[in-house]
Amino acid sequence: MLRRRIFQFFMIYALGIALLFALKYALGLSDYVVPGPAEIGRTASVYAGPYLLAVLNTLAVAILGHLLSIGLATAVAILGRLTAWVGSFIRTAAYNIQAYPIVAVAPIIFILLGDGLGSRLLIAAMICYFPLLLSFIGIFSEPVAEIEHFYESTQRMTWRLQVKIRAFENIHKISTVVVGSATMAMVGTIVAEFIAATAGIGYSIRIALYQSDLAKILVALFLIGVGTSLYLVSLEGLGAALQARFKRS
Amino acid sequence: MKLEVRQLVFRFPNASGNLFSDLSFQLPAEGFHALFGPSGVGKTTLARMLTGEIRGFSGEISLNGNRRVLYTYNLERLPGWSSVRRHLDETAPPARRLQAQELITEFGIDGCVDSRFSRLSMGQQNRANLVRYLLQEFDVLIMDESLANVDEFTREKIILKIKALFPERCFLYISHNVAEVARLCGRILVLRAASKAPQVVCVQGADHAPESPAPQPERLERAMLEIVHAA
Repeated sequence: MLRRRIFQFFMIYALGIALLFALKYALGLSDYVVPGPAEIGRTASVYAGPYLLAVLNTLAVAILGHLLSIGLATAVAILGRLTAWVGSFIRTAAYNIQAYPIVAVAPIIFILLGDGLGSRLLIAAMICYFPLLLSFIGIFSEPVAEIEHFYESTQRMTWRLQVKIRAFENIHKISTVVVGSATMAMVGTIVAEFIAATAGIGYSIRIALYQSDLAKILVALFLIGVGTSLYLVSLEGLGAALQARFKRS
Repeated sequence: MKLEVRQLVFRFPNASGNLFSDLSFQLPAEGFHALFGPSGVGKTTLARMLTGEIRGFSGEISLNGNRRVLYTYNLERLPGWSSVRRHLDETAPPARRLQAQELITEFGIDGCVDSRFSRLSMGQQNRANLVRYLLQEFDVLIMDESLANVDEFTREKIILKIKALFPERCFLYISHNVAEVARLCGRILVLRAASKAPQVVCVQGADHAPESPAPQPERLERAMLEIVHAA
């Protein structure tokens, strides 16, 4: 799984770089616009270390934000499965709020909370929260009639059992949604850092942009890709282990 | 004490006509009976009305003390997180756990109850699900094609075992097998389209009991003809 995902990333990255060089040489662009391979190599040797630390910083915030949104989405979706007006209200509110671009709200968060860890965490969590919530509401609101019927008719059904049945029946879907939203958490954190934070790889890219230093940006993108791939592989592994454990126990 | 339905009228929302028009019948509080009829005539709907799952009808359903009406159907599944045996242990009342093993053996699923439900064949799944319901407290159990995908010989063995073990309970067996219901059931309620009157015709079956001589072929033939003509 790891080898496949890393290989996929390397292929895409190499393709992108090749396209960039093709443009450079086809249009005769200067090294100032698109640096040559030697310049990129030199930048990588100097900045790979600090950028790696910045990527790890970003990744840590993204993971925290992701965990936060998974926990919150699970709790709200469990409430949202209620057929009472509370459930209906939560579902409608979630559908409406998720239609609003969170990135547009990000500046307000920075104005209110400053440019520290809290703002990055909140934006990362919010960006991946709504897709998670909508998927989880769908999963937890959908009865598995052919299993639940027995427990309903013998009056054994509890909310915990209902959630367990629905989660178990949709474990593959949940795993896919969690892995998919991990990329969004990473994107959210980088966007937050890019807008106003003073740490993380998004902040480093912002500085590189001000310096018009494409080589630094390419090095940062490479490390972001590797970091994100590793996180996704870890989540996929965790999901597969959980599914295997459910099937074995 | 008996189960009685009087002048039941029901129409699904947005349906063009009634599913039930003035439907009435009675069933004794004990015994193994059948609900027979062509597909789409409303057998499952009627079963769900008897359990209280479907409301919004006029007329009266009188259970006369049969408070615990359970309904089981052939597509039900047991959760997949543990073995069938463990589920049966968890869902059977403590007093019935000994009976669980007897039913497992008699129903021919002894060799597969330690597997997960999804690993079982469809016939084994239906038998495991039926065992689960038989271990519950109930007065009436409605079995909606609960023995589908089970071979004829085993089906008869299971029904005879149910009749022997639960003589004081009422079973309503929904099936499309004319010969089977004519041979093994006491009363056969033949449900017909709402345009026909009466909508339910009650036919007396041979009600073959365990360790009793096989029913006379003439009697069986007569019951089968009555069922077919009524349907």
